[in-house]
Amino acid sequence: MLKWLRNLALLAYAAFALFPLLWMLIISFKHDREMYHTIFLFSPTLENYRVLFEKGDYIGYFLNNLWVSAGAVILSIVVGVPAAYALARFKFRGRESIAFTFLSFRFAPEIMVILPLFLIYQRFGLYDTYLGIIWVYQLLTLPLIIWVLRGYFEEIPPEIEYAARLDGYSWFRVFLKTLVPLIKPGLVASALLSFIFAWNSFTFPLLLAGQNVVTTTVAALQYLSSDTVHYGQMAAAVTISILPEVLLALFIQKHLVRGLSFGAVKG
Amino acid sequence: MGDLWIRGVSKRFDRVLALDDVDLQVNNREFFVLFGPTGAGKTTLLNVIAGIHIPDRGHVYLNGRPVDHLEPNERDVAMVFENYALYPHLNVFENIASPLYSPRYRQPKEVVRQEVMRIARLLDIDALLERFPAELSNGQRQRVALGRALIRRPEVFLMDEPLVHLDAKLRHQMRAELKEIQSQSLDTTTIYVTHDYREALSLGDRIAVISRGRIEQVGTPEEVYHRPASEFVAKAFGDPEMNVVEGELIEDSGRMYLDLFGQPRHFPVPDDVRNILDHHSSRAVRVGFRSKQIRFYPEDPEGKWLAGRVYSFEPLGATAILIVKVGDHSFRLRVSSEQSWEIDQPIHLAFDMDRAFFFSASTGKLLARSEERKGDVPWPS
Amino acid sequence: MRAAAETGRTPPLEEAKIPWLRRNRPYLILLPAFLLTAGILYPFGVAIYYSLTNFSFKYEKHSFVGLENWVDMFSDPGFWHSLWVTAKYALLSTGVEMVIGVGVALLLNRESRLARSLRIVLIFPLMIAPVIATLIWQLMINSSVGVIGHALRGIGIVDFTWAADPDTALFTVVLIDAWVYTPFVILLTLAGLRSLPKAPFESARVDGGSAWFTFKNLTLPMIMPFLLIALVFRLMVSLQEFSIIFALTSGGPGDTLMTLPLTAYTEGFTYKELGYALPHMLVLWLNVFFASRILIKYWSRAQERASGV
Repeated sequence: MLKWLRNLALLAYAAFALFPLLWMLIISFKHDREMYHTIFLFSPTLENYRVLFEKGDYIGYFLNNLWVSAGAVILSIVVGVPAAYALARFKFRGRESIAFTFLSFRFAPEIMVILPLFLIYQRFGLYDTYLGIIWVYQLLTLPLIIWVLRGYFEEIPPEIEYAARLDGYSWFRVFLKTLVPLIKPGLVASALLSFIFAWNSFTFPLLLAGQNVVTTTVAALQYLSSDTVHYGQMAAAVTISILPEVLLALFIQKHLVRGLSFGAVKG
Repeated sequence: MGDLWIRGVSKRFDRVLALDDVDLQVNNREFFVLFGPTGAGKTTLLNVIAGIHIPDRGHVYLNGRPVDHLEPNERDVAMVFENYALYPHLNVFENIASPLYSPRYRQPKEVVRQEVMRIARLLDIDALLERFPAELSNGQRQRVALGRALIRRPEVFLMDEPLVHLDAKLRHQMRAELKEIQSQSLDTTTIYVTHDYREALSLGDRIAVISRGRIEQVGTPEEVYHRPASEFVAKAFGDPEMNVVEGELIEDSGRMYLDLFGQPRHFPVPDDVRNILDHHSSRAVRVGFRSKQIRFYPEDPEGKWLAGRVYSFEPLGATAILIVKVGDHSFRLRVSSEQSWEIDQPIHLAFDMDRAFFFSASTGKLLARSEERKGDVPWPS
Repeated sequence: MRAAAETGRTPPLEEAKIPWLRRNRPYLILLPAFLLTAGILYPFGVAIYYSLTNFSFKYEKHSFVGLENWVDMFSDPGFWHSLWVTAKYALLSTGVEMVIGVGVALLLNRESRLARSLRIVLIFPLMIAPVIATLIWQLMINSSVGVIGHALRGIGIVDFTWAADPDTALFTVVLIDAWVYTPFVILLTLAGLRSLPKAPFESARVDGGSAWFTFKNLTLPMIMPFLLIALVFRLMVSLQEFSIIFALTSGGPGDTLMTLPLTAYTEGFTYKELGYALPHMLVLWLNVFFASRILIKYWSRAQERASGV
């Protein structure tokens, strides 16, 4: 009896969580004509997607999002991996404060950062540029990468580095050939998660970018506020924009558990 | 070829002075043991030699040339780490081959294969080449680490307590094998770190005793055992530890005697020792006796021995540990287990003064030991 | 030392120099991160500075006005209303998410086929940007086209006001927030449940404890660290939530949903009074900062307790 109730509760929540997404998918294949008087039974069409691709704007937004998100993650990796290494290995004054500072970036209120950044970006010509958005996205992407990778580096005994040095490798080669492979699970997991944070960001591109760098999230606003009746296209746009994340989510599952838990380097 | 000179090296970590003005010279092809308790600075010294740590003061010379400015990968030093430091993501073959893939010591693929097979066979691990470190036992890992270090011919070979994580039997076996490898195939200057005095005595051509970052003594095994430079060194070698007690030197009818525990028995001080002690400012000394230099009797008919009580008697197979309490002090003796003793049983101790060690009460350094009788058995098995 | 005398070697005159690159390597490694951090902390410092001026986008010049902005803000009833709305929103959404999240996690912690397949799929909402989620829900509740609109009409509820009415607006945004973020709580709780050792539970079963007993005295304390992390994260993030409300109603109807971030945005970008907008956010940030410190202290205590069980 209890088992039935449990399953029922689970299914109820599952419906709550997943139905909206499924419905979006369904509607995206519904032609505007049939929008008002049918619910689930209709003749599917690819019209909405066709219009979306033809007009081309939305694809542009999608690509923008891709550039800034990927760019932000790459920059975070380039800056964050050495920083995580330094935080793990070197003892220096203020180490924990610096680590906490990096972490606190994640919780910086967006508006609070945006207000002055707006001015600064205007002055330095960073407003509405890819670089400007990538830079501000570091607030989202850098903390997780540093936090996770620091743990990984701490798990690697320094003797492994020493051994590689004595084998004849320079410091840089040791870093690349020995350390990086050992942190790969953590790197993949945190990079993927950070990518999602960046991909979903709304406030930053809304207020620090204009016509040039429009992301899918900002574009969604257009749909929300417009009086458009092209609901089908809206649904198609939404489906396209969430597709990468859904795929990543499936991909991530495997890596997430392994990547975010340490203890991979023993003996 | 590979001689090493460490000159005035000091290294501090935060508040801890790990190395304090260390001076050492290691001769070419020598098996040099660095012996000391945990935390004495042994690993730090190895790391300084390898170039992993830069000393705050002092220099390191290899073959007469300073190497301070050289990075670890430029120093032609190989090291076996206490925890093996194997690369977890590479298999045994790749671990051993690692030096020969590096930019510095690169060899063609065929040569690498040959060399790895040679080393693997030598160390009896050729069946394990495809395995990963996580799948190996400690003993196997140790051999892989050894192989990785052996595969090239460095100037200096550093070993940081390589046997410490092996079980006793394996340790014994590896000790013998190491000695064999070193003299036969290696022929390279080796610095071997250990805190096990038995290893030090059996393996070393010379031993440096280090404590709290300072070198207490450097000498051959005979020298450190029979002529320890200080009380610390004397106690470090031998099990049970050398018994060291406070005593006072007194003169009586032209001879010098040792007064222990205020007991009205004098123990005669050998003449050659007396000559040295005459010049010593203080009358208070510390005297050391190794277990086999102490004889013990249940009765003391002539009243010339030290009176005490048995504190504990612990049989350990063929021998036993007997602890005798005299006043506040405990004497530890290794005795045959054939005769047993009761707790609180009265017992009397006699000392072989000809073999006694006299240390300064203030500095702990060795003042004198009689040379009159020679031919000690080197050390216990 | 018989060194020099024995070998006849005299100390070489040259003192070896350690290359600059080697000596300073740690600092060089940290350099990129430092630069980036400085680039981010700079605006923060600027924010504090500007909050003490009457900087406005309308005028060219600005002057230092000290704490005038702060005083004005504290005496503005709109500010207090904002504070209240923000707290309502954060507490409500976090509360709902914690309760439902933990509950669902407990249900998911079994090895049935249903549970296993659902575990994979239930994090999807978390991946959706809140603004997109708002779009989806807005579409769903649309009275003419939306499926929920249809369903409600089917039961006889016509014109449920959703976001248009002050009474139901908060409900709507909390609903959307919960839809997106409940999976986060589920994930963390599951991680906690998965880390539980088997032994205490087996002995509890042997001792014959009821399910509620086991939960209250064993499970709960041991997963408390994870729950606290979820709580801290959710609270801190929901206090600053901007996109959902902005996208749905821009703070309306009226000022029902004017949380602090919304107010700051309005002051800064709509009214263009930058100097006045900033203190709002600084207040929020300070709250978040101190709240997180307190909660983190709870968290470490909970961790100790959990490991001692």
